[in-house]
Amino acid sequence: MHNTSKKNEKIVTHVHHENVGKQETLLTLSILTLAAILSFATRLFSVLRFESVIHEFDPYFNYRTTKYLAEQGFYSFHNWFDDRAWYPLGRIIGGTIYPGLMVTSAAFYHLAWLLNITIDIRNVCVFLAPLFSSFTTIITYMLTKEVKNEGAGLVAAAMVAIVPGYISRSVAGSYDNEGIAIFCMLFTYYTWIKAVKTGTIFWGTMSALAYFYMVSSWGGYVFLINLIPLHVLTLMATGRFSHRIYVAYSTLYCVGTILSMQISFVGFQPVQSSEHILALGVFGLCQIVAFVDYIRSKLSRDDFETLYSFLVYTVGILVVFAGGILTLSGKISPWTGRFYSLLDPSYAKNHIPIIASVSEHQPTSWSSFYFDLQILVFLFPAGLYFCFKNLTDSNIFIILYGVTSIYFAGVMVRLMLVLAPIMCILSGIAVSHLLSKFMKNVESSKPSEQKKNKKHESQMLRKEVSFTFVAIVTFLLISYSFHCTWVTSEAYSSPSIVLSARSHDGGRIIFDDFREAYYWLKMNTPEDARIMSWWDYGYQITAMANRTILVDNNTWNNTHISRVGQAMASSEEKAYEIMKELDVDYVLVIFGGLTGYSSDDINKFLWMVRIGGSTDRGAHIKEWDYYSPSGEFRVDKDGSPTLLNCLMYKMCYYRFGQVYTEGGKPPGYDRVRGAEIGNKDFELDVLEEAYTTEHWLVRIYKV
Amino acid sequence: MWKSILLLLCITYVHGAEKVNKQIINKNVERSIDLTSQLVKISSVITIENAGKESVQNYLIVVESPVNGNLSIITVKDALKEDVKFKPAEIEGRKDLTAYNVILKQPLDSGRATVITVETIFTKSLVPHPTSILQKEKQLVRYFGNAYLYSPYNTKKQTTNVALSSRSIENYTKLKPSSQSDSTITYGPFQDIQSYSNEEIVVHYENNAPFLTVSRLERNIEISHWGNIAIEENIEIHHTGAKLKGPFSRYDYQRDSGSAHSIKSYRTILPAAAHSIYYRDSNGNISTSNVKTRNEWTELELKPRFPLFGGWQSSYTLGYSVPSYQYLYKNKLGEYVLNMRLIDHVFDDMHVEELETSIVLPVGVSNIRVKTPYETKRLDDGVTYKYLDSIGRTIIKLRKNNLVEQHIQDFEIKYEWKFTLLFHEPLLLTLAMFVLFVFAIIYVRLDFSLKKTEHQKKE
Repeated sequence: MHNTSKKNEKIVTHVHHENVGKQETLLTLSILTLAAILSFATRLFSVLRFESVIHEFDPYFNYRTTKYLAEQGFYSFHNWFDDRAWYPLGRIIGGTIYPGLMVTSAAFYHLAWLLNITIDIRNVCVFLAPLFSSFTTIITYMLTKEVKNEGAGLVAAAMVAIVPGYISRSVAGSYDNEGIAIFCMLFTYYTWIKAVKTGTIFWGTMSALAYFYMVSSWGGYVFLINLIPLHVLTLMATGRFSHRIYVAYSTLYCVGTILSMQISFVGFQPVQSSEHILALGVFGLCQIVAFVDYIRSKLSRDDFETLYSFLVYTVGILVVFAGGILTLSGKISPWTGRFYSLLDPSYAKNHIPIIASVSEHQPTSWSSFYFDLQILVFLFPAGLYFCFKNLTDSNIFIILYGVTSIYFAGVMVRLMLVLAPIMCILSGIAVSHLLSKFMKNVESSKPSEQKKNKKHESQMLRKEVSFTFVAIVTFLLISYSFHCTWVTSEAYSSPSIVLSARSHDGGRIIFDDFREAYYWLKMNTPEDARIMSWWDYGYQITAMANRTILVDNNTWNNTHISRVGQAMASSEEKAYEIMKELDVDYVLVIFGGLTGYSSDDINKFLWMVRIGGSTDRGAHIKEWDYYSPSGEFRVDKDGSPTLLNCLMYKMCYYRFGQVYTEGGKPPGYDRVRGAEIGNKDFELDVLEEAYTTEHWLVRIYKV
Repeated sequence: MWKSILLLLCITYVHGAEKVNKQIINKNVERSIDLTSQLVKISSVITIENAGKESVQNYLIVVESPVNGNLSIITVKDALKEDVKFKPAEIEGRKDLTAYNVILKQPLDSGRATVITVETIFTKSLVPHPTSILQKEKQLVRYFGNAYLYSPYNTKKQTTNVALSSRSIENYTKLKPSSQSDSTITYGPFQDIQSYSNEEIVVHYENNAPFLTVSRLERNIEISHWGNIAIEENIEIHHTGAKLKGPFSRYDYQRDSGSAHSIKSYRTILPAAAHSIYYRDSNGNISTSNVKTRNEWTELELKPRFPLFGGWQSSYTLGYSVPSYQYLYKNKLGEYVLNMRLIDHVFDDMHVEELETSIVLPVGVSNIRVKTPYETKRLDDGVTYKYLDSIGRTIIKLRKNNLVEQHIQDFEIKYEWKFTLLFHEPLLLTLAMFVLFVFAIIYVRLDFSLKKTEHQKKE
């Protein structure tokens, strides 16, 4: 009798134990699923407010190429020579893009059609980034789980689901490389951590495959292929190098490099460019260290030291010598401008106007860290601390990732994207660690008898402190989620192709001028018409108007862009010569003076002048000529005569002098610059107004 | 098979060449030519008299050769405004003419007279002159026509009224007698006109009515037995008036000086039950449209993305859904009958150059019979796979050129269909989910590892 009851008890506890395990799995699964759904849903603001439409500039190019890929198949996509862009040069699309994004969407599209789910390719493109954000949420959980534990993983996953720094580039419609690249990056990290932990060729190969996917989708893979070698190097320096790491890194490097060279845009860069030299160097070092370890195990101590110093000197000299020769002979390509600006934030500003002119290449301001990350900024150091406290191979990786990415995010606004996930991971670690520590005290209502007597008072206090702490953390987390939703809704959910404003009576006014103009071009200009505009609008024109353009957002040819800048900055007669030379039929400018749209061409004009003047043929264009005598850039009567008579000015303000824009102001009052324009009554000699949109946002002229 | 039938038809037509019965005379003809829109609508009230001895039942209508290509529709009505049957015919010795043989409801006895009204609508018959104008100029068009009724019979007396859209008339052919009052020109009355008489008149006047042509209209009707019919129209429009010469100035346009010939917006009438309406083009939603619901219809005010000037074109997609019970019913034989418009209203006085209507029938229909209100060309049936279809759906495709508002009539399609097919897709989906879960359950419960894990050792 006694026996059976004991047995029963055992079974009961066993069942109970199993139930707890199951409950935990269920809880984990449901939290993760909710986080994944949330990360998808929170990105749909723009679709609900406007429509399912592609946003901004680059996504239009991606959309256009994806459409081509889905319709024409991979081989014709790979060999696609695009004569619509960069007239008269054209562009080889297959060889100048990272095809990962397009291939992914086309694969989803074909899969859906295979199952007879008749989805439009545009919708695939629009919803791809939110979908991949859901994947990112899951992979963040897995990565954090590998590094720390499940609890930290769940917190990190929940945080990454709504972190604005990542949302800014992955809302529905923001169809850009970054949308899937963050997933690829974290996936590569996850497989890498796995490979480091297990030291198997399987995980090494998996991480090589993940790396290949990453390379195929974003140029930011360079960060990854420098971070992993850095990790290996750090492990070596801290004496943690082992066979596991040797296997993991050698497999990743060999397979990954060969695979990455299959992307024609990457080509031989992994073995030639200096951006990849660290990976190559570390790979060599791995072999040497492994070899040295092997020799050391076979030789006596003295013999080994002689051999060691000899080898170090010879190999060192040889490497420096060979590197020098290769750099001089041009086999190793010099660092590209974008990379220099990573290391030295002021480099681009001083040397390459075309890089500096892009707003997302600007250094990040302090406020935007808080704006994009909120409490993560404070939790991040705590997370770092907990990682340092308990150093493991994988923790070192997380520390390295955190420290390097916070530097890069400080250099370039767009790299905030790389920082956001690690911020979430580290904060997740911190929050989970702290909470689990304090929650114990809150929960422990049944302290053991002995302690109760001894430290009764401090126990009470501890409980209250814990409770307060948990409440504060909860409050912070709640405020984080409110902040994230607010930022997403206010700052990152406008498609920028459709603008909206509030009218006086509170109704919503929609400015759909861009599409109006592009559609006009598509419908009412000859099929082969060539359109000159500033490069920002190049992708949109090719995608929406299907017309040939001179320059676009893929700014690979600086002289060509410079030529367009010169045309815009010159007087009408000189511009006519340039336009004839470039075979231009229509010119398109963006003008916000009537509506108050501030990112128009007049505000970008100084960049056109700078870029126009940066080449030999445009040496006569000097930035100083466009400032008023007092050194200001102004469009009113005090503005410089060069500015008041250049092509851009005339095209923007043609017949604007007669328009009343605001009550109480003279006609021709520019609402962006807040000034009455200086040159009002003029006629155009070589151009003819072909079309102006409803709110004058886009003006098209015929040459 | 088809060819031989066609051949047979041709033969019957040749044999059916009609002789003109000289006993018939047009006692009185009152013609009115309506030139207020982009279309030319001619309505002729003809009093037919049988001057012979035998009673007659056939009356021939002809359309002269240069303009018969533009003839869009012809209708014949009797004095009680009821439709009179007629069929295409050929006149002996005048094969260049388009002729119709009207079969009168009652034979016309000797000495008696009856009245019929013949309405014809011509498209592309108003020619802009000058062909291109500046933004602020007026749009002038010329009409070339016949002062008399072109008829194989002699006419005793006739008058022709030309109604114009505005008072500003550049010039018009001044026949005797003719007069102008306000925006109407009256020719006649003329006495004793010989058969096949042609006296050309030219009217050159201002016409700012929208010269909007639908160059292609693709109408897709998709039927679902779950109770919904989805209609989508892909429309290409083209301003066919005088071309815009020189610049388009937004400033002048906004001040609204001139540019009356441009098209800012137009109204489309949809069925009253229409819902889920969308108006978009290849670049996305067009945000400038208004829906007004009336009792009898839904009125849609569509504004193209940009105002249309002469020579400009645009295209858009308009879609909506209607409940199927209004159009689809089951007849006594157990067949399903679909009655819908072959073409619907796009804008008032519309002109559609090419129409292609595709009707996507539900999965698994059989024994399809199509009846159209007028002659259309039926293209080969297609097959399409819609959402989750494993069996294809049949598409009926009909084509017709040169249509106007009077062509808005119903077609009828009868087909047989089994009710159980409605559950085909839900079942398929359920099955797929079931299989997935079963696999998941099996997978979770199986252990594929070679060595036993620690967890199992514990147990």
